[in-house]
Amino acid sequence: MKTIRSMVLVSSDSLSKERGAAAVYERLEEEIKRFGLQDEISLTMVGDIGRHDAVPMVIVYPEAVIYGPIKPSDVPFLVEEHLYKGRIAAGLQAPAQELTGRIAWISARAGTLPAEQRIVLERAGIIDPNSIEDYILHEGYTALGKVLTTMKPAEVIAEIQKSGLRGRGGAGFPTGTKWSFVSKSPGKPKYVVCNADESEPGTFKDRVILEGDPHSVIEAMTIAAYAVGASEGYIYVRGEYSLAQDRLHSAILQAREFGFLGKNIFETDFTFDIRIHSGAGAYICGEETALLESIEGKRGIPRTRPPFPTTNGLWGMPTVINNVETLANVPPIIRNGAVWYRRFGTPSSPGTKVYTILGNVNVTGVIEVPMGITLREVIAIYAKGMKSGGNFKLAQTGGSSGSVIPATLQDSPMDFDSFAKAGVSMGSGALLVCNEDTCVVDLAKVLINFFRRESCGKCNPCRIGTERAFEILTDISNGQGTLEDLDTLANLSEYLVQMSNCGLGQTAGTPIHDVLKYFRAEIEAHILLHVCPTGVCPMKEPAGEKA
Amino acid sequence: MAKPKVASDWMCGCAGCHMSLLDMDERIIKVAELADIRSTPITDLKVPDATGVDVGVLEGGINNTANEEQAHRMRNSCKILVALGDCAVFGGVPAMRNFFTIEESLRRAYVETESTDSEGKIPDDPELMRPTKVRSLQEVVPVDVFVPGCPPDADTIFYVLAELAQGRIPNIKGDKLHWH
Amino acid sequence: MKVTINDKMIEVPQGTTVLQASRLAGFDIPTLCDHPALIPYGGCRLCLVEVQGARTLQPSCTLPVNDGMVVKTESEKISAARKFVLTLLFSERNHFCPYCQVSGGDCELQNAALKEGMGNWPLPPNWQRYPVDASHEYFVIDHNRCILCRRCVRACGELVGNFTLGFEERGAKSFLVADFGVPIGQSTCISCGTCTQVCPTGAIIDRVSAYRGKVIEVEHHNSICLGCSVGCGIDVLTRDNTLVRIEGDWSAAVNGGVICKVGRFLPLDEDRQRVTTPLVRRSGALQPASWDEALYEIATALKPLVGNNGSGVAAMASTRLPAEALYAFKELFGREFHSHMVTSTEEGVTTGLAAALADELGKSFEGHLGAVQSADCILNIGVNLADNHEVVGFLVKRILPQGIKLITVDPNANPLDPQAELALHPQVGSDVEFIRGLSAAVLKAGLAKNPVEMDVDAVLVTAAMKTGLPVESIEAAAHLLALADRPAIIFGKGISAQTNNSTLKALVEFARLIGALDEKHSNLLSTKGQANSVTAAQYHLDQPLKINGHRAAFIAIGDEKPTKRLIQKLENVPFLVVQASYASQLTAMADVVLPVTIWAEQEGHYVNLEGRIQLAQQSITPEDMVWTNQAALEGVAARLGLRIDGNWKEELKKRVSMVEIS
Repeated sequence: MKTIRSMVLVSSDSLSKERGAAAVYERLEEEIKRFGLQDEISLTMVGDIGRHDAVPMVIVYPEAVIYGPIKPSDVPFLVEEHLYKGRIAAGLQAPAQELTGRIAWISARAGTLPAEQRIVLERAGIIDPNSIEDYILHEGYTALGKVLTTMKPAEVIAEIQKSGLRGRGGAGFPTGTKWSFVSKSPGKPKYVVCNADESEPGTFKDRVILEGDPHSVIEAMTIAAYAVGASEGYIYVRGEYSLAQDRLHSAILQAREFGFLGKNIFETDFTFDIRIHSGAGAYICGEETALLESIEGKRGIPRTRPPFPTTNGLWGMPTVINNVETLANVPPIIRNGAVWYRRFGTPSSPGTKVYTILGNVNVTGVIEVPMGITLREVIAIYAKGMKSGGNFKLAQTGGSSGSVIPATLQDSPMDFDSFAKAGVSMGSGALLVCNEDTCVVDLAKVLINFFRRESCGKCNPCRIGTERAFEILTDISNGQGTLEDLDTLANLSEYLVQMSNCGLGQTAGTPIHDVLKYFRAEIEAHILLHVCPTGVCPMKEPAGEKA
Repeated sequence: MAKPKVASDWMCGCAGCHMSLLDMDERIIKVAELADIRSTPITDLKVPDATGVDVGVLEGGINNTANEEQAHRMRNSCKILVALGDCAVFGGVPAMRNFFTIEESLRRAYVETESTDSEGKIPDDPELMRPTKVRSLQEVVPVDVFVPGCPPDADTIFYVLAELAQGRIPNIKGDKLHWH
Repeated sequence: MKVTINDKMIEVPQGTTVLQASRLAGFDIPTLCDHPALIPYGGCRLCLVEVQGARTLQPSCTLPVNDGMVVKTESEKISAARKFVLTLLFSERNHFCPYCQVSGGDCELQNAALKEGMGNWPLPPNWQRYPVDASHEYFVIDHNRCILCRRCVRACGELVGNFTLGFEERGAKSFLVADFGVPIGQSTCISCGTCTQVCPTGAIIDRVSAYRGKVIEVEHHNSICLGCSVGCGIDVLTRDNTLVRIEGDWSAAVNGGVICKVGRFLPLDEDRQRVTTPLVRRSGALQPASWDEALYEIATALKPLVGNNGSGVAAMASTRLPAEALYAFKELFGREFHSHMVTSTEEGVTTGLAAALADELGKSFEGHLGAVQSADCILNIGVNLADNHEVVGFLVKRILPQGIKLITVDPNANPLDPQAELALHPQVGSDVEFIRGLSAAVLKAGLAKNPVEMDVDAVLVTAAMKTGLPVESIEAAAHLLALADRPAIIFGKGISAQTNNSTLKALVEFARLIGALDEKHSNLLSTKGQANSVTAAQYHLDQPLKINGHRAAFIAIGDEKPTKRLIQKLENVPFLVVQASYASQLTAMADVVLPVTIWAEQEGHYVNLEGRIQLAQQSITPEDMVWTNQAALEGVAARLGLRIDGNWKEELKKRVSMVEIS
């Protein structure tokens, strides 16, 4: 057996690949061989490592030095200096100012929080996502083995229920309860669908999991299938996630080859297989019923609920639909037990949460933190504070459908129940941190513009309401707003919630509602004083006649 | 008690709403008994009293800078502003012009029209009002009472004026409410 | 389930929507995207109601009732929400009522707004210009007036199964398109016009009726379409004694509101010249005459021919005539004249063999259209349902998306082929071998419900040889049908108009083998011919017309268009009487022309392809000199001193019929 002294990871997310990660990898392989280090250095292509400003990146462990962007011509110097001579290759490091890398990793060494918090991202960025052996070496498929050989389906559901795992797609519905609904629903076949159509702006946590640890999702889906009695699974992957699709595809092939998918898994009677379904660029297909329509080959338009997918899902059959992150929690829970899982997070929201953190902070990227951590802690510890010493103004959670967290809520624990109490939506797991240079009119305008473009067009409040809201916000940012416009906006945001057919429309009004609630004075300044306090808005035309 | 003062004016409309007003026939006398009819485009006095009126009635949409002035003048002169007819309420038939640019409309009217002899000329005297997009009254000034209809029935107009003259805000619904 | 709506408790069956329950309870809820004939959609959000315990307002059209549910359909909150939806809709495109043809009663959007007491649009309109697609012969799509409710799209798919209309883009850019965005006139549209009937606004308007009258100004006449043997229920809209528009009758059992181009548009697209007075040939030219003169001419010429069969009067009546007129015709020329050449314009082509087979079997063997709608596998043989009996085609096409399997058998490409599970193109004239091959394949596979003796391999080989189809294809079709729970067979002229009965018999035998036909029921149905095909068959008006030695001919063509073949046959008839609504080459040849009513001007009964006796109502009054077909025939009889009595309905049942008449 080889003794590895250093681990070299090459980023291979979509952008890295585009910028020549494969050539860097090949060159590394050559150079390591040239120095005769192949027996003591492991070289691995890993998934997304959490930042895109300096790709392709090369990370050397255990020192956790991040190099990038690396060209093939940089490689001989890097290998000679760092791997052969044992010192940092000067001039090749990623810019320190924006040092991100695997933030979860850095946090482990920050000393303020327990290092065991990595549950979902335990392997992402460490193992070779194209190698099922690597996955198995890191306890992969042991949860599935345990489930199939020692547990009854009802016991699996009970364990998940006991763990208190809640859906990470945004709504926070208890996963075990969802599974039990499906298991009790009559009708065959049943389906397990993984919602990997991650399209919320600023959110890419699921991609990190899919690209870095695809087998964890496959293993979790198989466990879910066993628990509810499903025989077929679909992973609906966002169309733009081509690397994730490739990784999943090869992972499924390997899993079939190793007998973790297909007939008689673990030599039991249990049969299950997974197909990948690629999205085609529609945000709305992340809505679970639109996603089902899309898998069925129809136009991606949300269905009317009830009935719910748990009874009438894919092809009208009982269907479990879980988010990628939710599923990735399943194998660790099974392996270590519900009691272990409940050690993390809060009593009503156990476990961790993966966030993508971005905006005016020093460090942006992906982090996995326990539920219940406060925004202030996240910014201070993981994001290394506000960029250039700016002052925190607000953060926006969960992409466009998320809420605005004003400074007054910085110390509110970030978990489902505390957030619900504070009127904040957990959203999809993005934290857009804004400093005082951010104009809330502009922010709301940008967010509503997204909804306006992504509304499916089925129901009137969402289709027309987002359009009108965008126009009004545009008017305000052009200095043409009126106070009546604010009433109209307030009405729009309220009616979007009250009257829309699906989650998109129902949450589309949230940013407007929130900025009106927390920052009304700033908006009124645009109207009454004809001034954008932050100087962001164009305010280009004189008040009065609208174009 | 002094009778409430009523003034009316027309802007970008066809005068049809005022014709419909006249269709109330002898009831106009009743209106005159209830209210003090001041300026209207169909009487000698064309401009509302400088001291203001109680009820202002405007027919037609806002089609140019002159209409804008009329609308603001009436809004500033009256306590209750009535948008009379589909043009004042919605923009009406003239608003079809909004599908074209002002230049296209002017060229059609002054140059391309079949009755134009020689070359035609688009009036450009700086003294003239400037055409704008056709807007409903409420897009320019706040409106208190909307009386849609093309034109509103004489009965409806009588009802509206009689109610306003007696200090009530008319509630237009049922048979009185139509948009055509 | 017990539901409380506005404090009124009612009990409704499970699966009832809140909207349906509310209407049952007597509370109307305004809707726009909802249509009783379409699957609830939940897009317009106008029907929102308050449900106790629900966080938000709920769409009543899609929400099923729960036991104990408490619903409020009117409140300030609801009214404000409705106004808001309407406000948004008026701000989306260009709904300018003064210049819209449906304004003032025909527009569901305007009606909803007026009902909510909206006197203005709180949000200014959007002046973006949307295109008007006037590429279609019969209707215009004005996108400015579209509220994106998708009723037309759903009707096109759910009711007609044509899927021509759809939506492109999303959000505010959502846009109604035909196919992949071609002008509707160049699309796969089959001009059934169902979209014009379901459109709630003036976005899809019928060219002929546009600006010719609103719902409140027209009269409605429930009738049936005489376009073919299906006998679809229609609603004929008239104003000042003129036809304005024809719509499908939503309550009609046969078609449930769906009609085709033949029923909706063609009757209003009539450019033939009417015959408005009797015409009599004088000195070689047809001259206007009175009825008295015309009947005198006829009586003079025909009187000597009474009872003179073989060389007397050959008579032919259109199968578009009502049963009453056909009965009078048959009585007059068959019983009174004793003519042996009394027939119909169909000459028994579509019904003769089937009627003969029914005679032979001593009972009916065809079923109902319902069999098609509940089938799980359909064999379509010998008829192109895209060109004939289109509504039957709609009934087939619209259930296919549910996974219903269709097998088309046609020597030529059949328009339904692309939607078929199996599309077979046997050689022309190989039907009998093909059907026997199907039977053999069923027997060979041991799937027969009532096995019979047959040399299966030999029959299959012959079938393959004659049809030019591989044995596997024949077997595949046979297996699909034999394994189905509710197989149905629709056949047409290709089978029923052959020279002998063998193909039809083979089909009946096959239907028995697969369980589509037994003592109790039949899922076998032929499309037949025109509106009164079955009646003509029952009255024995089903032989080929031969003039031979006949010295006169009486052609009651009614409003049917005479064929070239008929005109040729009648060229040398010594004395020709034509009873017609329209001038034609046939009337030009006649010695006497009797002006008669068209479909909309007369009342009478028709027996449709499934044996249903239906009444066609009179919608408009004919001109003074125009008589009904029945009156004209009775006039001729009276002048000849002949009697027409008995009952048309009893006569229908005297002969065993191919399909049960009721």
